[in-house]
Amino acid sequence: MERKSILNLIIIFLFSTLILGLLNLGILQGAKFRRLSDSNCIRLISQSGSRGNILDRNGEIIVDNKISYDVMILPQDLDDIDQVLTLISRILGVEIKDLRMTFKKNFISSSVPVTVATGIELKDAILLGEHEIEQPGIIVEPKPLRHYPYGALAAHVIGYVNEIDRWRLTKLEDYGYKTKDIVGFGGVEEKYDYYLRQEEGGLSVEVNHRGKFTRVLGFAPPRNGQDVMLTLDLSIQKIVEENLSGRKGSVILMDPFSGEILALASYPNFNPAVFVDKRAKLIAGLFNDPDAPLINRAIGSSYPPASVFKIVVASAGLELKKINPSMSFVCQGSTMVGARKFSCWDIHGQEDIFQAIAHSCDVFFYKTGLLLGAQNIHDYALKLGLGRNVGFELAGETSGFIPSPLWRKINKFQNWFDGDTANLSIGQGDCLVTPLQAVNMLAVFANRGYLLSPYIVKAVGGLDLSVKKKRFTKVPFKKSTFEVIVKGLAKVVSDTKGTGNVLSSLPIKVAGKTGTAQVSRGATHAWFVGFFPLDKPKYVICVFLENGGPGHAASVMAKQIIEAMNIQKLI
Amino acid sequence: MIRNSFFKILILALIIAALGVLSIYSSTYQKEGTQWRDIYKRQMLWLIIGLACFFFMSRFNYRKLWDANYFIYGAALFFLLLVFGLGVVRLGAQRWLRIAWFNFQPSEFAKLAIIIFLARYFSRKSIDDTSLLSGKFGIFQGIILPFIFVAIPMFLIIQQPDLGSGLMLMLVFVGLLYLTNVRLKYIFFLLAALILPMPFFWHFLHDYQKQRLLVFLNPNIDPLGAGYTVIQSRIAIGSGGFLGRGWLSGSQSQLYFLPESHTDFIFATFSEQWGFLGSSILILMYYLIIRQGVIIAQRTQDSFGRLLAYGVSFLLALQVFINIAMNMGLAPVVGLPLPMMSYGGSSVLVTFIALGILVNIDRTRNVF
Repeated sequence: MERKSILNLIIIFLFSTLILGLLNLGILQGAKFRRLSDSNCIRLISQSGSRGNILDRNGEIIVDNKISYDVMILPQDLDDIDQVLTLISRILGVEIKDLRMTFKKNFISSSVPVTVATGIELKDAILLGEHEIEQPGIIVEPKPLRHYPYGALAAHVIGYVNEIDRWRLTKLEDYGYKTKDIVGFGGVEEKYDYYLRQEEGGLSVEVNHRGKFTRVLGFAPPRNGQDVMLTLDLSIQKIVEENLSGRKGSVILMDPFSGEILALASYPNFNPAVFVDKRAKLIAGLFNDPDAPLINRAIGSSYPPASVFKIVVASAGLELKKINPSMSFVCQGSTMVGARKFSCWDIHGQEDIFQAIAHSCDVFFYKTGLLLGAQNIHDYALKLGLGRNVGFELAGETSGFIPSPLWRKINKFQNWFDGDTANLSIGQGDCLVTPLQAVNMLAVFANRGYLLSPYIVKAVGGLDLSVKKKRFTKVPFKKSTFEVIVKGLAKVVSDTKGTGNVLSSLPIKVAGKTGTAQVSRGATHAWFVGFFPLDKPKYVICVFLENGGPGHAASVMAKQIIEAMNIQKLI
Repeated sequence: MIRNSFFKILILALIIAALGVLSIYSSTYQKEGTQWRDIYKRQMLWLIIGLACFFFMSRFNYRKLWDANYFIYGAALFFLLLVFGLGVVRLGAQRWLRIAWFNFQPSEFAKLAIIIFLARYFSRKSIDDTSLLSGKFGIFQGIILPFIFVAIPMFLIIQQPDLGSGLMLMLVFVGLLYLTNVRLKYIFFLLAALILPMPFFWHFLHDYQKQRLLVFLNPNIDPLGAGYTVIQSRIAIGSGGFLGRGWLSGSQSQLYFLPESHTDFIFATFSEQWGFLGSSILILMYYLIIRQGVIIAQRTQDSFGRLLAYGVSFLLALQVFINIAMNMGLAPVVGLPLPMMSYGGSSVLVTFIALGILVNIDRTRNVF
C-alpha cells in the first residue's frame, strides 16, 4: 500500500477513536457522569420543623417542643473567622479555643453553615442576632427540641427521643430515615414516630467550584410533625404517679367500656429530658440500673397473678357447672391433694363462692380447680385474655403465660399432677400475667361480657382513631356467672373480713380482688384489680406492686388513688 | 474546482471558530471582571485578523515560502530564544512573548516554520535530472541532518517547558519523513533511537510532567491535584449525554469546576452543552477540513506543495486528536490548544495562516 493511503487510514483511525471515546463517555457512562456533575454543584441546606406534640385526652400538652438556639457561621460570608469567633465567645462566655475546635470539627465546606454552639439562651441569641447585620455570616437558628413540662410523667407511655441507632436505621432507611435523625425510642414516640416526625425542608442550592453559593434551585418548607392525642387523663395520671412514686410496680386505669387507657404508670421511671440534653452519665445510669427503669412494668413484664386468678377459676367453675352459688366447701386451713398438703392462708370454715372470693379462700379454689381440671382452667384463662398479647400499641408487650398439661408434656417431658392443678387454681406456679392483662380481664366483668382491646392513642393529627381502635370480643358467659362473680368482687370490699375491706371507707362503691403472689426470692408481689363505681363502672384499676408485700398494700394504694380522684371530682 | 476547496475550508473553519466563540462566551460570561467577560470579543478580534491572514495567504504564492524558508526558520528560532530572555511566565511556564498589546506564543509559529522547512528540505531536486534528492538520501542526509534542524527548536520548546508542542514537532517530523522517499528502514532507525531511551528521558521531565503522565494512567491517584482537570473534563463530557445540557446550562464549565474551560479544555465545555450529537458533528467538521487538506496534497504535482499540504493537514489532525483525546482522558494532559476553537491569538493566527497556505497550494498547483 502506498504511504499516503496509510497516512489517510491513520487519520481516519484517530478520528474514529475520538467518536468512540465520546460514545463511551456521553452515552454509555452518561448517566453516571450526569450524577457526578449534579453532586458536584448541588448542595442541600436543611431546615427542620418541630416534632409533633403529645397531648392528653383533653388536649392538654404532655410533651411539646421548646425552641433552643444554635449559633452557626457561614464561612464564605466572613473575611475574618477568628474575629467572629472572638465575638461569639465574648457574648456566650465560652473559651475561644473550644469554639475554634468545634468549628474545625463541623466544617464541611464554605457554603455550608457550621454549628459552633448549641442550645444557647434566648438572651444570648438576641444579642448575637443584633450582630447579624454587621456580620452577615453569623446565623442564629432556632431549633425545636423536645420539652417535657411534667418531667418524668407518663415517661413509659411517651418514650424518649434520641439519635437513630444502626438497627432502626437499617429497618427504616426505605422510609426516608437518615443517619443522625432524631427518632422515638419506646412508647408512643417510637410507635407513632412516623406521624410525630417532622418533615425536614430546606433549600437546594447550586454552588460553584469553590463551594460558593450561586443560586437557589428549590425550596421545600419544613413541615411540623402531627400531634398525637392520647387517651390518658393528665389529672388521673398525676394522681397515680404521685401515689406510686417510690414503690416498684405499676398502676393502670382503663375505661371498661371502650378500652381507653386513662392512666398508665410504671415505677421506677426516668426523665426523658436526659436524652435531649445528652447527659451521658445519667443515660448510662438508666441502662445499667438493676431495677430497669426503662422497662414499662405495666406491659413489659409478667408476674404470677396469685389470687387475682381465682376470678378465672370461679367463672370457669360456674360456666361448666362444676360449682353453683348455693354450693359450699369447708376450709380447715388446708386440704390434701394426693399425698401433699395444700394449705390456705387462714381457716375460713364453710365458704360459698361469694365468701370464697371475698376472703380469697385457697381451699375453695383448690377444690374447684381439681373439679375443673387444668385444661379447662387454661382455656377459660385464654378466653379472658390471659396468656396472649392484648395487642397493645406500645412496643415491648409480653404475653404472659398460662401453663397446661399439654404444654408441660411437649416442652418439659413431664407429667401434669393434681398438685399442679391446685397451684394453678390460685394463680401460682408457671402462670404469669401482665398488669395490663389483669385489668383487661377484670373489664370483662365490669362491662358484663366484652373482652376489650386496650388502646392509648385517641387521635393522630386531629383524626379520631377511637372508632377504629374500639374492638370487642364477646365473652359468651351466662349472665348469672357475671352477676355471681361481680357480687363476690363487691364482697371483697364490703365484707368486714374481705381482703379489700380497706376500700369500704370510700364514698364510692368499689368491687375488686386482691392478690398476694409468692415469689421464690424477696417479699411477695401485691395485686389489686377492681372497678368502680360498682353500679355504673367507669374505671377499671390495677395496682401492682413488685415485692410490695401482701395484697393489702395494693388495696391501700388503690384506695388512696380513688380517694384523690374523688376529691378532684373525676369520678 | 479551485473555488470549491477554498469555500469548503473557509466555511468549515468559520463554523468551528463560531462554535469556539460561543463556548468561550459560555465558559466565561459569569466570571467577575470585564477582562474575563470580554474574552470572547478578543477572540472575535483574533478571528478577524486570522481571516485577513487567511485571505492574504490564499493569494500569496506559496512558492515564495521556498525562498523565505531559511528566514522563517531563523525567525522561529529567534523568537524561541527571545522567550527565554523576555518571556512572560504564565501558568508556571515561560511560553509567551509580550508584543505590544498581546501575548504571542512562538511555539505555535515554530510548528508551521518547521513544516515549511522540512517540506523544502525533502523536495529539493538534483540539478541534472530534476529528480527528487530525498530518494537518494543516505542516513545522514535523510535522517540525522533534518533531525538536528527539528531538534533545536524542539529542545527550546521543551525547555519552556512545553512538552506537548515539543513532541508535536517530533511527530510531524516523523509523519513527513514517512511521506517522502526516504527509506523505511531509516525511519524505523529513527523511531528506535527515539523510543528506546524513553525511560532515560523520564529523569529529565519536570515534576509536573511526570505527575501528568502518572495521572493519565490513573486520574484518581490525585483527584484534587493533577488528576482534577481530567476528572472534571470527563464529567463535563459525560454529563452532556446525547443532546447535551443546552447552551449556557452546563454546570461543569459555567460553575468553574472545569479549569482552563476556555482554552485547552474547550472541547469539554462544548461537549457538556451540546452532547454527543454536537461533539460528533464538531469532530466530523474537523475531519472534513483535514480531509480537504489531504485531498489537496494528493492532487498537487509540486512536491514542495504536496509535502507542505500533507504537513499542515497532519499537524492539524494531530493537534485536534491529542487535544480531544486529552479532554476525554485518552491522552495525557499536555498544553495543546484545540485549533480554531480554543481561546488564544497565536493559535488562531497560525491555524488560519496554515489554512490559507493550504488553499493557496490548491489554487496555484496548475501553474507549474
